[in-house]
Amino acid sequence: MVTDDVRALSEALAADPSSVVFVQLGEALRRRGQVELAHRVAARGLERHPQRPDAHDLVARIAIDRGDFARARAEWETVLTLAPGHPGAQKGLGFLCFQQGELDEAARYLGAALAAAPGDASLAAALDTVRAATSDAWRAPSGRASAIGGAPAGTALAAPAAPAPPFAPEPADARTLFADVLGDATRTALLLDRDGYVMAGQHVGADGRDAGADIGAQLSGVSDEADRAMRHLGLGRWRQIVFEAEAASVAMAPGGDGVLLVTAPRAVPLGFVRRLLERSLERAHRWLERGT
Amino acid sequence: MTSAFGTVLTSLIRHRGVTGCMVVGEQDGIIVDSSLQIGVNGTAFAALTASLYRRARRSAAAAGFGETGFFELDAEHGRVCAAGRNDLVLVVVAGERVNVGLVRVEMLKALEVLS
Repeated sequence: MVTDDVRALSEALAADPSSVVFVQLGEALRRRGQVELAHRVAARGLERHPQRPDAHDLVARIAIDRGDFARARAEWETVLTLAPGHPGAQKGLGFLCFQQGELDEAARYLGAALAAAPGDASLAAALDTVRAATSDAWRAPSGRASAIGGAPAGTALAAPAAPAPPFAPEPADARTLFADVLGDATRTALLLDRDGYVMAGQHVGADGRDAGADIGAQLSGVSDEADRAMRHLGLGRWRQIVFEAEAASVAMAPGGDGVLLVTAPRAVPLGFVRRLLERSLERAHRWLERGT
Repeated sequence: MTSAFGTVLTSLIRHRGVTGCMVVGEQDGIIVDSSLQIGVNGTAFAALTASLYRRARRSAAAAGFGETGFFELDAEHGRVCAAGRNDLVLVVVAGERVNVGLVRVEMLKALEVLS
C-alpha cells in the first residue's frame, strides 16, 4: 500500500515537477525509512517552493532523522517566520530544545503548541516533563539544565545528552534507564521481555511519540528465530546480533528473560553500536538484579 | 565451482577464520553455490541463516528501518554473517577469530555480484 502511494506520488511529481506533491512524497519516504531519498526530494521541492511552511517543516523532520539538529532548528524557525504559530514547528522546536537542555525555550514552544492543540496528550506529558526537569535543574547545585539524568514517568521525551557521573544512581523511571548510557537521543535502547513487551527504555521518533512497543514487537521475533537456529547449528548460545538497515543499525543481545535492543542512526559506526549494546546490557542486568 | 559466484566464494573462504561461504536462496534456504571446509553442515547453515536473515529483513522493514544490508550473529563458538540482494543471500560461517570487519567489507562488495 505504502509502496503504491510512493509510486503514485513519484509519478505525479515526475509529470509535474513544480507540483507540491513532493511534500507528501518526502513524508512517505521518510516514514518508510528512506531518509536520504526523502531528503533529496524535499530539498529539491524546497528550491522550487521556498515560501511553503510545510516544505520547511518536512525538511526539518528529515533533518532530525539524519541527526542534523542545527538544520532542523533553522528550518522550524523559518516555518515560524512564514507561519507564526505553526503547531508542528512549535512542537518540533520544543522537543529539540528539551533534547539540548534548553528547558525554558522548550517549555515556551511546547506551551504554545499545546495551546493550539489542547487535546494532544503527548504534548501535555512533554510539557509536564519539561516543567519537572526545569524544577530539578533549578534545585541542582550546578543549576545546569544538562544535569538532568532522565525524564519522569509519563514523558514522551528523550533525556538530553549528558555525561554520566561515575556512580550515578539509575533513574527510577524505566523509560529513561539507558538515557545516559546512550548519550544521544537519536540512539535508543529497549529491554524486552520474552513476549516482546517493553520492560525498560523507549524509542522516541521525530514526532515525539514513543514507538518502543511497535519496534520491540517487530524486532523481538529476530531473537526467537536466532534461538531456534542455535539449536541446530552447534555454535552454542548466541551472544549478539547486529544488522544494518537503511535508516538504522540494530544490535541485540539476550537480556534477562528477553532481549535488549539498541538502535542508532547509520552514521554511528557499527563497532560503537556494539559498544552501546554492551554498556546498555550491563545497565539492564544491574537494574534487573535490583528488582526495580 | 563454475557458477558466477565462484570468484566471490573463493575470495571469502580464504579469510582467516572463515570455514564456509555460500550463496543461498532467501526464500527457500537452498544452496545455490558454496565453498565449505570439511565438517561444516552447509545445508543447515544455509537454511537457518536464510530464515534468520529473512526475518531480520522483514522485521526491520516493518519497524520502519528500511531494507537490511549486512547481518551478523555472534555466538559462543563462532559467527554467521549474511548480506542479501535480489532474493539471494551471501552467507559466511566463521570461527571466533575471524576479522569480521574485513569480511563485512568484502561481503558488501560481493553484493554487486548478486545483482
